[in-house]
Amino acid sequence: MVEILRWMHLRRGSGVDMGSFRAYDYKAAGGKLVRVRLTEEEGHIKSVQISGDFFLVPEDSLPTLEKMLEGTPLQEADLRKVIDRFFEASQVQSLGISADDLVLTLLSAKQEMVIAD
Amino acid sequence: MNLAVEEAIPRMVGEGRAPNTVRFWHNSNTIVIGCFQSAPLEVNFDACKETGTTVVRRFTGGGAVYHDGGNLNYAISLKKGHSIVPDSNLQQVFQKLSEGAVQGLRAMGVQAEFQPINDIQVKGRKVSGAAGSIRWGAVFHHGCILVSSDLAILGKVLNVPKAKLADKHVASVQKRVTTVRDELGRDVSSREIQTAIVHGIEASYGVRLEKDELSREELVLAEDLYRSKYRRSEWNLQP
Repeated sequence: MVEILRWMHLRRGSGVDMGSFRAYDYKAAGGKLVRVRLTEEEGHIKSVQISGDFFLVPEDSLPTLEKMLEGTPLQEADLRKVIDRFFEASQVQSLGISADDLVLTLLSAKQEMVIAD
Repeated sequence: MNLAVEEAIPRMVGEGRAPNTVRFWHNSNTIVIGCFQSAPLEVNFDACKETGTTVVRRFTGGGAVYHDGGNLNYAISLKKGHSIVPDSNLQQVFQKLSEGAVQGLRAMGVQAEFQPINDIQVKGRKVSGAAGSIRWGAVFHHGCILVSSDLAILGKVLNVPKAKLADKHVASVQKRVTTVRDELGRDVSSREIQTAIVHGIEASYGVRLEKDELSREELVLAEDLYRSKYRRSEWNLQP
């Protein structure tokens, strides 16, 4: 009797988290620490958490940026467009963190897959 | 409860239900993290348990600070548009509202100077860090002055980013930071520093500070904020 093993091909949206977790910390000279933790799926940001010791006013704008980044391709031009739009639209004041820092940290995170943390 | 009072005051000042206020306060054995920081990334919970350190999140950005009896915290709440800081620019708020503390420390003989973004330094070493916000119709600035704190515990209860070796990090924190006691080479009471900062604020901004207490309304708001936010791990420990 041959043992039967099942096989399957999981697709996007099949209810299983197939994203890869990625992490990167970056501190610009004279700036503050920016820590990105994100899940990537097929080259796009599935979810992202941005933390650190920077300042953003209004403070409750950070979740808006995280939400705006969801679904964005992890490519410089796409990230820059979204982040610039965030800073322009919400009239956010930032200290110790710039649009450039955010783009650089997200792009660096793309290279850093976390196996276990 | 201290962080709840910290939020209640600028809310009331912004609404015009409390006068512009300078508040001094202490905490014992507490890590106060910035509102954008991830508690699990920043805090070593095992070390906190061992040392009896509480973790509380404040409503302003910036980095983690360790509070013990050797710190003096000061907070300035002004109605937005106040002549001391007419522009709603956070960097200017930090610079301008640090002046009172800088002047107070200098009067004591500490060679303090403001160092952007948000520090007060003595010969390149940090003696105070500030944070602040512009919201609820108020301009808010608070700072934590290292009077005679236990700097070693800071290296224990905060996680060290993997890129840095633990021992180097602790050594560098201690090298980068100083206390008023170390700078003056004598014991200093926080009462003495408080008096110096009150005078520094009065001289820097051309104001006079009058001693007062929290109003009933502020206390009720603070108690409500404590119950709904500052005593909850959903707020304090969120990732």
